[in-house]
Amino acid sequence: MKRFILAFIPAFIFIFLWGWFYNGVLLKDVFAEAQSLFRPREEMMGLFHWIIIGQAGLTLSFVMIYASGFAGGGIAAGVRLGIMLEILAISARCAIYATQPFSAKLLVLVSIGGFIEMIVTGVIVGAIYKPAPARSSSP
Amino acid sequence: MNWKKFFFAFIAAFIFLFVFGFLWYATLMHDAHREVATLLRPEADLKSYFGWLALGQFVMAFFFTLLCARYVPGGRAGAGAMLGILVGLVYAGPHLISFAVQPLTFKILCGWVAGAVIQFAIAGAIVGAIYKPATGHIMYVKERSR
Repeated sequence: MKRFILAFIPAFIFIFLWGWFYNGVLLKDVFAEAQSLFRPREEMMGLFHWIIIGQAGLTLSFVMIYASGFAGGGIAAGVRLGIMLEILAISARCAIYATQPFSAKLLVLVSIGGFIEMIVTGVIVGAIYKPAPARSSSP
Repeated sequence: MNWKKFFFAFIAAFIFLFVFGFLWYATLMHDAHREVATLLRPEADLKSYFGWLALGQFVMAFFFTLLCARYVPGGRAGAGAMLGILVGLVYAGPHLISFAVQPLTFKILCGWVAGAVIQFAIAGAIVGAIYKPATGHIMYVKERSR
């Protein structure tokens, strides 16, 4: 549990900071082009806690999947998991592109950021989370 | 990797994801989605983007099956469903973020989150039940006589 929390906290901090820097600063102008599809800024700030809960839930699920099926593989396993989860997210973005009038440019840029986010999260979780050593029954 | 079983599991997952997506998002949630019509493409345009929807579900089914095969190498519906629930929760995070930044209704948020968890839980159970590792890769350890 201690290792779980130790892996969760830095991964969550990274996802929060990367989300703010990439989507809020670097892609600010690209998002502004699709302003009609987003809430006004003041309204978004009023719902900011949903962003925190969403990012915490994503991080928690990532660490749980890693801990229960990939632990022991280290950084390489974390990166593999991150890549697979991001490919699943991109496939979901194809459905978003099919149904919502977002530009392809916006979704490609968001997907590039998502890849970086999930790979670095995999590195962090893989480097920090180690499975508990097997207990020996011999005296 | 048992590619024959993988192929059958992938096809079953793809068919399920496609049918579930149609029933849940396009049929059950149709009226909820119409409440935010300005956020969606006009119905007349949807047909021309259908290829993207199918491609997304094809890729999703392939990589979800791959994830299950690596995560639950011995197969089992229950373990596959458990992984599916966790993957559904990974999806729920971005849905919550979308709710904060896009003018979606709370009803849509609940529908998307529940849909993701149910969809991947069942898909995981299907893949877990179908996929089994190649028998040549299973090692049997003979118990030592005492």
